[in-house]
Amino acid sequence: MTRSRACSAISWRISVLSVYHLTLRQLSGRWRVVIMSVLSLMPVIIAMLMLRDNTAPSVQQFETTILSTMLAGSIAPLVVLAIAAAAFGDEVEDRTLANLTLTPIPRWKIALPKLLATISIAVPFIAMSALVTTHVAFLGEWRATIAVTIAAIAAVAMYASMFVWLGLVSGQAVGLGLLYIVLWEGFISGFIPGVRLLSIRHYAIALMNAIDDRRFATTDHLSPAVAVIMATLVIGGFLLLSIRRLRRMDVP
Amino acid sequence: MGALPEVDTMSAAAERMVQPHASFEPVIKVEGVSRWFGNVVAVSEVSFDVRPGITGLLGPNGAGKTTLLRMMTGLAATSTGTVTVFGEPVRDNPPLYRRIGVMSEHETVYGFMNGREFVTMMGRLRGVSDLKNAVDRAIEFVDLADAQHRPMATYSRGMRQRMRLAATLVHDPEILVLDEPLNGADPRQRLHFKHLLETLADQGRTIVLSSHILEEVEELAETVLLIVNGKLAASGGFRAIRAALNQRPYHVRVVSDSPRELAAAVVTLGSVDAVHVDPDGALVVLSRNVLDLQIELPRLAQKHSIRLRKVEPLDDSLESVFGYLVEN
Repeated sequence: MTRSRACSAISWRISVLSVYHLTLRQLSGRWRVVIMSVLSLMPVIIAMLMLRDNTAPSVQQFETTILSTMLAGSIAPLVVLAIAAAAFGDEVEDRTLANLTLTPIPRWKIALPKLLATISIAVPFIAMSALVTTHVAFLGEWRATIAVTIAAIAAVAMYASMFVWLGLVSGQAVGLGLLYIVLWEGFISGFIPGVRLLSIRHYAIALMNAIDDRRFATTDHLSPAVAVIMATLVIGGFLLLSIRRLRRMDVP
Repeated sequence: MGALPEVDTMSAAAERMVQPHASFEPVIKVEGVSRWFGNVVAVSEVSFDVRPGITGLLGPNGAGKTTLLRMMTGLAATSTGTVTVFGEPVRDNPPLYRRIGVMSEHETVYGFMNGREFVTMMGRLRGVSDLKNAVDRAIEFVDLADAQHRPMATYSRGMRQRMRLAATLVHDPEILVLDEPLNGADPRQRLHFKHLLETLADQGRTIVLSSHILEEVEELAETVLLIVNGKLAASGGFRAIRAALNQRPYHVRVVSDSPRELAAAVVTLGSVDAVHVDPDGALVVLSRNVLDLQIELPRLAQKHSIRLRKVEPLDDSLESVFGYLVEN
């Protein structure tokens, strides 16, 4: 057997799928599923309680309380943080990252499947939560349901890209992520209008408005075009930062 | 764990592995490499070449061996200096890992995978063609075919080490870098691991292994790089280093029923530099030729009808051994 026969050109699909499947198995631990399930159920329960106490909530009530504050501002980022910070963070901590970096595959083939696996795990929980919550609150109106679900998926992708990178650069990714969620997304971006341009929560809300502007055309949201551009920049930007970090870091 | 393979069995498996090139040009070149972490200098101005065969990186714990190995494999950046493998910089050069296999000192396995899944995944990530046969060969080579379908979390440390070696070998690397590969292994596992490494070296591969145990490196390595305090203290054949060790002054403590009479007899030996009787009544001998002392001491005791109760070296710690080599 010669060297050239021993190692053939590595199909990008094979390497990406290998890292993707590995990450899925790493991230689907029992306690994570429990945390994600509990968090995802909260908006549904609150929406049902609102319906039970009054009549249907007003659009403003629903958007502020459930969609903006809970789903996009805390539930989605918390669920994603629980998964994404571990995508690289656990590998750095238990020193298995070297298994991946000591292979002849480009670093984007490590970072991209890690991000995709994170999104794949978080999306069913968040999307189902958004879908059921909206369906219950708006008595099955399909357009509002689709708008909220798509916005939630976009929020998952953005938060995932950011927190996957955070798990790669810091051993305290969960703590830093919580600070970001509470201070930036939960507090500062809610009070300082200019900061909304740099808030994932507001990009998600703007996307929701764009899809169902009849029901959700409220307040001073970002324009859909800006939201799409910013969402793309967040996902792509943090993915590039992860790839760059993988190339330059000292792998433990 | 399965029974130790017969040598013939291992050779048969080994024959099916790749025969790397037989060139004796430097495969790895380390030139003026330093690495510091803040104010701490982990590795300082180290230069050497590595050629095919087994090279042992020897040094006490904390000497900088692991940092050096990590720089040699591209896992860590150098602060200054360069490391090249097959003439190419190793850092940020993923294609080189087609030709290098690295086994770190840490048990970097995924507990939820079984051994075969782990080796298969590593082979797939390295682009191994004919993956099934390559995985079969690698697992057979480390004699873990019986345990390949068990979760790695249930393996003993020695089994995990061997399965990691299988994963390191699955793509038939020309260079193997092994950080403390015998750490934590029991004597039987050590023997097996040594057989495996010798077989791989016989195939012409370049193997670099680190250890803080002198005898371990002595048994395996033809060439030794001695690292002390982040510096290359000595390099070359093990025999030269062992000869230097044998000539170093040893303090030997001898407990007998007649220390003063024994002192008078021992001081006549050419290999003894000085003697004194310590407050406990034991004789302490300073010798530059400890092998000669080992032979002559019992003879003298027998000749003078002195009963020897205990003979022990006083400065045989690794630190004193390495310290002596650095001074010389």
